[in-house]
Parts: sequence; structure tokens; C-alpha cells
Amino acid sequence: MAIGGIKTVILLSFILAAGFLLVILSCALWSNWLPLLVALTFVLAPLPNAVFAHCAPDALSAEYESSGAIDLGHFLTAVTIVTGFALPGVLAHSEVIRPEACVMSVVGGVLVYGTIIAYSSVFKQETEEF
Amino acid sequence: MSLPRASYDPRRVFLISCPSIPFYRHRRTIGVYLSGALFAIANWVFLDAAIYSAHAQPPPDAPYDTVPVHVTFLDWLPGIISMIGLLVVNLIDKDRLTGEGAFGGSGDSRAVWRARVILFLGFAMMAGGLAGSVCVLVLKYIIQEYPEQYNFYGIAAVVQNVSLMLSAVVLWLAQNASEDDEYNYQLTI
Repeated sequence: MAIGGIKTVILLSFILAAGFLLVILSCALWSNWLPLLVALTFVLAPLPNAVFAHCAPDALSAEYESSGAIDLGHFLTAVTIVTGFALPGVLAHSEVIRPEACVMSVVGGVLVYGTIIAYSSVFKQETEEF
Repeated sequence: MSLPRASYDPRRVFLISCPSIPFYRHRRTIGVYLSGALFAIANWVFLDAAIYSAHAQPPPDAPYDTVPVHVTFLDWLPGIISMIGLLVVNLIDKDRLTGEGAFGGSGDSRAVWRARVILFLGFAMMAGGLAGSVCVLVLKYIIQEYPEQYNFYGIAAVVQNVSLMLSAVVLWLAQNASEDDEYNYQLTI
């Protein structure tokens, strides 16, 4: 269990590094640092769910519906993720950044976001078990 | 003088129940995610047109402005009105509209009436935003006979307002769906 956990952490850190490498390459190759905003967006994407998760109703409480704060967190998450995909597309359309930089920054941002989601889900399972 | 006992729930309107969609329990979450995505798509479609227009400048040594039309505040206005309408519609407590639930439980008909007026104003603002964007598309772009590519600015605003309306509708449905959730339903029976 511990070795598997360590392997997962090492794999995830490699993926995270590859994601940041792609984003920074997309900026540095054309010396245009606007694609860095995409990485920032994808890093901030899990934040609303993490913040509003504490407003979730308890399993023991009488309320079965999820509250409005949870919905706001989901809404903001969806807005942020779509922004991460749309922002480089818009920038590439108006020829502020190159199309190659657009693709590279999107792929890098998705890798970063996937790493964060995978890491938090793995961590969550471990806390639930013990 | 007693009716035969109905084998179905007499409160139901339709005999054949709606087939349950997959992820039935998570439809509220999925609906809210979908609504947020639609909201973001709407705004980015319009921002794409605005940024593209801002970067379509004539070269500095051009004798006159070779770009006939730009996205101005007039194009932003329908979207802003639509967004205010979306906020108003979704800020209303759904329980107040029916006069039931935790807050409006006293059956205060005036409060229900006020809530409905505000809801009507919100939907009217969204519809007005949509109509305004179509007006801008026709009056500012199609009638003026610019080259074909500039109609894209007006069409982007129409797409923005349609998507904002869809976003509001999806959010409304997703949040109201849990009211008659199957689980709660069985609890009440």
C-alpha cells in the first residue's frame, strides 16, 4: 500500500512536471508569456469545489438536497474549466499567440488539472479507509 | 359509492412515467456543471469577437480606416442585460414562488406575487437581451452591407444571448428537479 502510494505520487509528479514544461515551452518558444494564464486557470479550477465542499450537508442531517453553495462551486468550476479551453483558442484566433502555443498550453493545462484531480481523489480514498 | 383503488399514484399527470435517464441521482450536479459551461461558452464566444475586433486595426500608414466596423459598447449591452436577468432569475428562492416550503410557508400571497413579478422581470430582461442582440445584428451589421466577415461580430452576440438563456433554463431545471426527487417522493408517501 505504501509503496503503491509512493509510486502514484512519483508518477503524478512527473505528469505535473510535464504539464508545466509544456505550458512554459508554449510561452518561451515564441517569447510570448500570455499562455501562462492558461496554467493559472487550470490550477485555480479545483479551488471552488474545494472551498464550497465544506458547505455540503452532513450524511446524518435531515437535508437531502445539496445547498446553493455547492451548486455555486460546481458552476464556478465549470466556468473555470471552459475558460481554460476557450482562452487560448480566443488568443490564437486573434493571432496574439501561435496556434501551436495554443495547443501546447491547453494540453499542459489539462495535464496539470488532471494531476490535481487524481491526487486529491487518491488522497481522499486513503483518508476514508482509515 | 367508492371509486376503485387506483393502481397508480393519482397525483401523477401521465400514466407512463418518464424513463429514468442514467446518472439519475447526479442530474442536479450535472445540470449545474452544464449550466456553468454554457455560461462560460456564451461569454467567450462574444469575447472572441470583441478581442478579434480590437486586434483588427488598420496599418499605421493606411490613409483611412480600412476596418469599417468595430465592436463597441452597443454590442456589449444586450449581453450585460441578459446576464443581469440571469442573476435575477436565479437569485429568487424557488419556495417563494409556490408559497410553500420553509420560508413562504405562511401562504403570504403578496410575497408570492412580488416574487413572481421579480421573476417576470428577470425573464423579460433575458428575452430583451436576446431581442436586442438580434436588433444589433440586423441594424448594425446586416443592413449596412459590410463585407460578409463582419456579420460574425453580430452573430457572436446572438449566440452569446441564446447560450445565456439556455444556461439559465438548465440551471433552473437542475435546481427544481430535486424537489420531486424519487427519494423524497417515497419519503412523503
